[in-house]
Amino acid sequence: MSTQQGQDAKFFQRGKIEEFRAELQAAEAKDKKFQKRKTVLKKIVANITMGNDMSPLFHDVIQCIGTPLLEIKKMVYLFLVSYGRSKPDQIHLVIPSFLQDCNDRNPLIRALAIRTMSYIPIPVVTEALTDQLRHCLKDRDPYVRKTAAICVAKVYTADPRKAERKGFVELLRDMLIDENATVVSNAVAALSEIGDRQDGVIFKLNLTIANKLLSALGESSEWGQIYILDSLLRYVPEQHADAEMMAERVIVQLQHANSAVVLTTIKVLLYLMNYMGDRRLIDYICRKMGPPLVTLLSSGPEVQYVALRNILLIIQRRPTVLKNDVKAFFCKYNDPIYVKLAKLEIMYRLAREENAREVLAELEEYASEVDVDFVRKAVRSIGRLAIKVEPAADKCIESLLKLIETKVTYVVQEAVIVTKDIFRRYPGKYEGIIPKICENLDALDEPEAKAAMVWILGQFADKIDNVEELLDDLVYSFLDEPAEVQLAHLTAVVKLFIYKSQSEVTKALVHKVLKWATEDIDNPDLRDRGFMYWRMLAMNPAVAAEIVLAEKPAITTDSDRMDRGALDQLLLHTGTLGSIYHKNPETFIRNAAGRALIDSPALNANSRAVLVSLARPQLPPIAISVSGPGPVEPTRPPQPSEAANNVPLPTIMESSRSDERDLLDVEGDDGAGGDSGEGYLEGDDDGPVTKAADPYASLGGAFGGYVTDVPQPVAGGSRGGDLDDLLL
Amino acid sequence: MAIDGLIILDPTGRPIIQSSYTTYPAAYPLLHIEALNNALAKAPREGSVDPVIYVEELSCSSACCHVEVGGMRFLATISGDVDPLIAFAFLDAFTEILQDYFGVVSVATLKDNFDIVYQLLEETLDSSGHPLTTSPNLLSDIVLSPSLISKLLASVSPATPGVPSVRQGGSFGSNGASGAFTSPIPWRKAGVRHNHNEILFDVVEEMRGIVGKNGTTLVSNVFGKIESNSKLSGTPDLTLTFTNPNVMTDCAFHPCVRLQKWTRDNALSFVPPEGRFILADYQYRPPQSAVVSNVPIPLSLKANMDMGEFGGTFALTLTSRLIKVMENLELKFYLGEDATSAQCTLSSAGSSVGSVGSADGSWSFNSRTKTLQWEILNMRSSGSWILRGSWTSKIKAPRPAHAFQIRFEIPSYSFSSLKVDQLRLSSETYKMYKGVRMRSKGSIEWRW
Repeated sequence: MSTQQGQDAKFFQRGKIEEFRAELQAAEAKDKKFQKRKTVLKKIVANITMGNDMSPLFHDVIQCIGTPLLEIKKMVYLFLVSYGRSKPDQIHLVIPSFLQDCNDRNPLIRALAIRTMSYIPIPVVTEALTDQLRHCLKDRDPYVRKTAAICVAKVYTADPRKAERKGFVELLRDMLIDENATVVSNAVAALSEIGDRQDGVIFKLNLTIANKLLSALGESSEWGQIYILDSLLRYVPEQHADAEMMAERVIVQLQHANSAVVLTTIKVLLYLMNYMGDRRLIDYICRKMGPPLVTLLSSGPEVQYVALRNILLIIQRRPTVLKNDVKAFFCKYNDPIYVKLAKLEIMYRLAREENAREVLAELEEYASEVDVDFVRKAVRSIGRLAIKVEPAADKCIESLLKLIETKVTYVVQEAVIVTKDIFRRYPGKYEGIIPKICENLDALDEPEAKAAMVWILGQFADKIDNVEELLDDLVYSFLDEPAEVQLAHLTAVVKLFIYKSQSEVTKALVHKVLKWATEDIDNPDLRDRGFMYWRMLAMNPAVAAEIVLAEKPAITTDSDRMDRGALDQLLLHTGTLGSIYHKNPETFIRNAAGRALIDSPALNANSRAVLVSLARPQLPPIAISVSGPGPVEPTRPPQPSEAANNVPLPTIMESSRSDERDLLDVEGDDGAGGDSGEGYLEGDDDGPVTKAADPYASLGGAFGGYVTDVPQPVAGGSRGGDLDDLLL
Repeated sequence: MAIDGLIILDPTGRPIIQSSYTTYPAAYPLLHIEALNNALAKAPREGSVDPVIYVEELSCSSACCHVEVGGMRFLATISGDVDPLIAFAFLDAFTEILQDYFGVVSVATLKDNFDIVYQLLEETLDSSGHPLTTSPNLLSDIVLSPSLISKLLASVSPATPGVPSVRQGGSFGSNGASGAFTSPIPWRKAGVRHNHNEILFDVVEEMRGIVGKNGTTLVSNVFGKIESNSKLSGTPDLTLTFTNPNVMTDCAFHPCVRLQKWTRDNALSFVPPEGRFILADYQYRPPQSAVVSNVPIPLSLKANMDMGEFGGTFALTLTSRLIKVMENLELKFYLGEDATSAQCTLSSAGSSVGSVGSADGSWSFNSRTKTLQWEILNMRSSGSWILRGSWTSKIKAPRPAHAFQIRFEIPSYSFSSLKVDQLRLSSETYKMYKGVRMRSKGSIEWRW
């Protein structure tokens, strides 16, 4: 064997089935220390890893299973893992060997046997495994027990109801108090996997078991800690004190070296905070969460990226976290673009009057960089900063004007787009800069920028001397423009006409555009709007003026924060795919279980007020089409009421409920334990929750990462008090 | 919460080794490989591909997390509501294991040892995606490393005292092979014996900073690491104390450290794993200034830039602000996509040491990366090093980076002046050799 070290690469040559078969047969006759067999098997395994089909050798390879050499046994098992499932008619030949190995003296072999069997979902194998597994779950060797725990999850997948009947779930539950921490954490992992299934029993923790798990935390491996911490989200505190005590025990894990442990710990803390009453403790925990999050930024760019996307969510819900750490998010020239974009978004979120100057200086720096996407985003952020932080607006405008002077086309276009929003945010304050902007009309070639420019010209037609000339020039290409620019043109010329109805040039211009819109355009929106304006102007120009130049709602950047309830729910998925894409996993990942805060006497009023109920969603029958980099939610978000009507058959609901009572949960109240959305809300003194209907309604436009971050008009009531209630 | 599997791609994007995707259709791993290769091909430049790629197909949607290791791509596919950080943490751990086993992780070493890699995969990642044992201490009992196999075969009797801690795990019938798992400490195997007991600590501090146009430090943070290498017999219970533990803030520890004890006494109490491990990560904040938490940057740069048409000229002056010698200083300057060439002259001035000459520095222009690089092997205190030059560009208004990237190393130095007070060993009686070394490095972005 030693002589072959370093030469294994040659095994990667494509092997021939017949050749291997002959070699195996030859090895049967005379094989000192099984070296020949080992060599052939190695070649076969090498071929499997390359994706070559070795399944015709099934019969020959399983002959070697009895060879008393662990290395050979391992390779045969590897072969079985790959091809066992595809040989339902021959697999019975291996069963006797499986059974023998399940009772081997060597715990490694016992574990290997049950593990391999659990990979082969063929009834005869599962049948044989079921009996062996029961013994192995009580094996004296912890390596076998921990392997067996994971196997239960697979047996469950094969046939949930049968596994329940055979009592495997109870056996797993008993393992939660095993003396070996690795066994405990694997049992937790298996129960979680079962609990996440749509047809699985519900896995809930009560205070006693949650505490037991916490004491196993210290001795677990990092992966075990992650399973255990994650499972704490299945515990619903009944009293503030319970949540607070648990948070105090968990908080030391923030000092773990493994980034995944840290983020999972933060997820648990964020969850528990919903059930806490002590405001000072919440503040304290928020302060404690900041530094470990910053430390994650000293890791590789991949970890940074995941961390940044999560930080973005966390600071929206708990603005005090990282409040004073905006500097940690300054971009470096050599950061990968995905890290830069994520940092930029966070810098904007953290910007306040106190640090606006620093942030602006950075943004100006970025606007001079080379990467076009990043520069655009930086310019846009300057505009958003002006809208968000009023005292910084003057400086931001100055800096935008400087950028417009650079004449770099994409910079100018972005600047024009944000300037439009600034005009709306601060009416009457900055119109003096319009002439400067008008100097750059020729640089605009993108629809969004053009539409913004046209809007500015129309809106302030009374303040721009040569506006007719400018608009006339722009209208020249009207018929070739995209609809959004055409619409802007149409409205702008009507505004112009209202301001300067005496001018002959204006009259001709309006007439020309209205005629185009109503006669030469196929787009019904445009045509209809054209007709509407035309009639308004013809019948009563005064009313038209009132309508077209009506006062616009002020815009703020508040609304680009996510809906509180949806945010609470997303934070339960901290550190998961959902938090990367800022969507709830069940809306884009098949078979993902949704999570929702569960009402309890300890849930604080603010969290309860925005509680989003969860119905196990019905997946759309067809695939969801996706465009762009991130996942897209189904066009029809799961409606609790609708989903409740056709969620799980009553029988399954019954069975899962009774299981739940039998298992870990001690509460007897049926209403609170049910898995339909209504159940959680029953007995809620606050009355029906209005937002429950469509928690994601505001999510798409309101956030959406880097795509739609345009400030929007304030919808409905003011959110002034929001910042305050975010603290609780 | 699970990782579906792991795929290792060679530099051309072809799979070398992948875990058995038993519960997935055969096309599943291929889809991910294709998605990644497509994304890499489309990327405008290196390192601009999102580390988490969303993969959509008819039957299920999933994502692929990837990192680059030794020119290869390690790819972990995840589906369901999975923490991508788990995938990355696992990829990290797996890479470390491979390094432990083979020394160098490269296409050649992996291909040469594919059977061992495959076994390692089986032991570290369960087919339903739960990471299992990733502690090298425990794995070495289940999967023998190539060096141990040859050692075992070379020795007449496997029970030679030279490698006493290695049980005959590779052969059939040895009952104690899973002794590791009966060990009460999940990160340390039981029954380790050494003739010579020693433990070494390397304190490595890295400064990361950004200096603004006007020369003021915008950000500078110092991240420290205590790297350890332990070769101790039995179950050594160690207590490490510092004379100034308060310079370490925001600590993160190896699981072996008793967190409560640190909170209470500021002492590191732990039973170490065998071999190399990182005992602690911390951040250093200078105590005197609570508001401005910037650590002073140990050098200064004066840049006179003159942008012209089709190129520009520059004069850079570097000065050390440190008594210690800085080593391997390296300054990089990206001249823009359209840069074609650069010409420079080196000089130094003002140093009390006479030997300062051009031999101390060198410059080069990499026409592929369009980057100018200036290196100074030894940078003594109180001297200035000057690089003057010009570059040419294909376009009229060149767009070079507005920042220099500076890296340096400072041996036997720490920004925090962290000092070990003592290391006590309880629960074992032998004498051990202990060593502590300090080392610092920095990476600074200097804007102009």
